[in-house]
Amino acid sequence: MRSSMRKNMKLAISDVLETMFFQAVQFVEEPLSIAEWFSGNESLNIARLEFAGPVCGAYYLWVPSGLAAVMTANFLGLSEDGIDDQQQADTIKEALNMIGGHMLSHFDEQGAYQLGIPEMLARQEGMAPVGREAGEIFLCETDVMRLAAEIRLQ
Amino acid sequence: MAFNVLIVDDSASMRAVIKKVIRVSGFRVGKYHEAGDGIQALEILSAEWIDLVLTDINMPRMNGLELVRQINADEMLRSIPVVMVTTEGSEDKIKQAQALGASGYIKKPFLPEDIKMTLSRMMGEEVEDEIVHEEEYETGDF
Repeated sequence: MRSSMRKNMKLAISDVLETMFFQAVQFVEEPLSIAEWFSGNESLNIARLEFAGPVCGAYYLWVPSGLAAVMTANFLGLSEDGIDDQQQADTIKEALNMIGGHMLSHFDEQGAYQLGIPEMLARQEGMAPVGREAGEIFLCETDVMRLAAEIRLQ
Repeated sequence: MAFNVLIVDDSASMRAVIKKVIRVSGFRVGKYHEAGDGIQALEILSAEWIDLVLTDINMPRMNGLELVRQINADEMLRSIPVVMVTTEGSEDKIKQAQALGASGYIKKPFLPEDIKMTLSRMMGEEVEDEIVHEEEYETGDF
């Protein structure tokens, strides 16, 4: 199940980021945590989307502000100068909504899963609790910057 | 003939994108209306003349499936075509939407052609084969 989950998730991330945000994505297979993947100083937009079904859990998406601005500009067809924080947050939530839904649609033919409503998190909320293993992590590079995604199961 | 469109999605960004895609597809739209959930959509439908509804499924307060059900249950509204534009792509969800009265289904992520083809079918409109490129699309790959 793990390998098909990873394959479906990578497919979903690539499809969504390329189709809607014009960002080509390369996946990096290194045993790094989310905190190690980002340098520590950049401002990160973190979104969470819960799902429920035979298995329950949540998707997470980490997008640095610089990349969030580019994605938002591409998504809305605006220049980066004219974008506000609300538009960026909305775009990141919608990106995660599409990734999560697209990923589920690959294996949930019966419609057994329900997606929640995506929400933005503060940085400390987005990190796995101390002592708890992180879920399936996806480390990505675009032409602009890095981003990351994660699936955590309950 | 221009037609009035209601776009229903809890994401303001997604509503803006759908509106933009419809516009560059060449459809003659009279007015765009927007709603953030099914309840707001029904309020607009009771007050405005709407020819086509595009709606997400997963929304707070009232989701898109309930919205379709209520539109179909209303004598005055049931002739309005409703197209689901959603990440929920399972066969089961598609059948559920159709059973409730949805006329079409577009999965996210979508290309402009997906919206264009579906709307052409719904509204019986013939549009030009090529997408009209507005200036802001010059750097995109739509």
